[in-house]
Amino acid sequence: MFYIRMLGQYMGQYLKTRLQYRSDLVVELVSDLLFQAVNLIFIIVVFGHTDFLNGWSRDEIIFIYGFFLVPFALFSSFFNIWDFNERYIVKGELDRILTRPIHSLFQIVLERMELESLFGAITGFVVMGYAGARLGLTINWYDPILFCVFVIGGALVYAGVFILIACISFWADARTSIMPMMYNIGNYGRYPVDIYNTVIRFVLTWILPFAFVGVYPAAFFLRREEWYIYSFLTPVIGVVFFTISVFVWNEGVKRYRGAGN
Amino acid sequence: MKNAIEVQGLRKEFKSYSSRSGLKGAFRDLFSRNYKVLHAVNDISFSVKQGEMVGYIGENGAGKSTTIKMLTGILTPSAGEVMVNGMNPHKEREAFVQTIGVVFGQRSQLWWDIAVQESFRLLKKVYKVSDEEYDRHMGHVIQTLDIGPLLDKPVRKLSLGQRMRCELAAALIHNPPLLFLDEPTIGLDVLVKLKIRDFLKEINEKYNTTILLTTHDLTDIEALCDRVVMLDEGNIIYDGALQSLKETWGEGKEVQFQFMENVEITDLEKLTRDLPVKWELEEKEQRFIAYTTDEADAVSNLIGTVISSFQIKDVKIMEVSTEEIIRKIYEKGEV
Repeated sequence: MFYIRMLGQYMGQYLKTRLQYRSDLVVELVSDLLFQAVNLIFIIVVFGHTDFLNGWSRDEIIFIYGFFLVPFALFSSFFNIWDFNERYIVKGELDRILTRPIHSLFQIVLERMELESLFGAITGFVVMGYAGARLGLTINWYDPILFCVFVIGGALVYAGVFILIACISFWADARTSIMPMMYNIGNYGRYPVDIYNTVIRFVLTWILPFAFVGVYPAAFFLRREEWYIYSFLTPVIGVVFFTISVFVWNEGVKRYRGAGN
Repeated sequence: MKNAIEVQGLRKEFKSYSSRSGLKGAFRDLFSRNYKVLHAVNDISFSVKQGEMVGYIGENGAGKSTTIKMLTGILTPSAGEVMVNGMNPHKEREAFVQTIGVVFGQRSQLWWDIAVQESFRLLKKVYKVSDEEYDRHMGHVIQTLDIGPLLDKPVRKLSLGQRMRCELAAALIHNPPLLFLDEPTIGLDVLVKLKIRDFLKEINEKYNTTILLTTHDLTDIEALCDRVVMLDEGNIIYDGALQSLKETWGEGKEVQFQFMENVEITDLEKLTRDLPVKWELEEKEQRFIAYTTDEADAVSNLIGTVISSFQIKDVKIMEVSTEEIIRKIYEKGEV
């Protein structure tokens, strides 16, 4: 309860700060929307050249892409930990975090949230709407509920993987370039996994389970019954990976060495 | 009464590897690294009673910050027992930090681009402080530290002195019984320093707040602390009253002479060879410094002898300062 209240407090503060700098806010809003528009055009142009990909139609691929954008937006609004090493370990900001009575990871989530990333979800909905309409998809009463569950599951998968990578900083001093690489790998989850060879498919399912952010849950709404098992595994994988990552995080914090003054 | 801080055999080791030189060395490092274990803090034990103000001093790298970080639950000790406010800091971190306040002089606790009062409001929620408690306690803090006019400014627009006062207030929002200050007066001007000192004394008297202070500015310690703990290379080399440190180490007097004429240090040595004096020459200002004993007539004998032979421009009689004492101790490496 306390944590939810704190989330509200920080969000309020975040919005207040944003509103203080009005011109900044407008510029950001415009650039965010532009970015999303470019994204949209990119999708249409790229997929305009493909009709069928290993049994997936163009519209289905677009739909998967659109779905992917929603959990990804959720992830990037709340888990801005790509610069965790520099900001918190090297600069020693974690010292401050650790002297406050809230779980350290949650504090970082609170401090680093970037709510404007949620706009990405709008693009996602537009893309899904477009593709869904062309495919003639129907919406059942339980779809919105499952949609939320799958989106949260997907975001947790993303968060889990990136928290685990951030945790490397607790053990190794050197900066790593794994973060940007992982963003690239994460992008593979937005395409149907059966276009890849079995090794990559295995990796994307069980080791870096980015397929659970895009193709697996989206397959459910495309009524691809052969993938249903994977679709329903989405929240499970999300919770499992997130739990592991929090556990590793807690171990890592014990190993934190602090930065010298 | 129960002790606020209880430390038994506390140790922190850092493993670091030393890299070999050259390209060949770098390749060898890839496969086998030379690890070196550094003892930042080496089996120290001490305790602090509730309401005490303790100065924690040492050179850079002596292990001060490492100790503070272990006491505040930021670092996990390699070995030893730590009990602070009856809790184990790193094990029960979240409950524990509720009972302490921390100010790191070189690191801000406040949010950079929001107004100070917004920071306070957020911290008030973080520490679950009720409105009445906040008003009662913080009203006074804000008034004493004189930060009322700063509350609606964003932190990044504050001067260092203003910011430090706000930091101090922020650390006290939940009125903790124990306050850690890591170099709180670094880089501040005299007036702000005095204000902060007075404030610390006041809350210590009013709430019986325990204060552990590290600083390089020994005047802070002189003004605030009855007790000092001195650290050198991870070991406590002195733990006791500042006064008795002065008495044991502040032995002897120092007399400085400046002469009208050109004088050789050998002349002075020859002249005073019957007296317990050691001469030193500070070349830049041609100042001759005589170290003599505490005995009643030592100084007058010395001055009398010197005046009778040389024309004197200036004479100064100095008492050995705390800084001098500390310097001496570190040169010797033990108390």
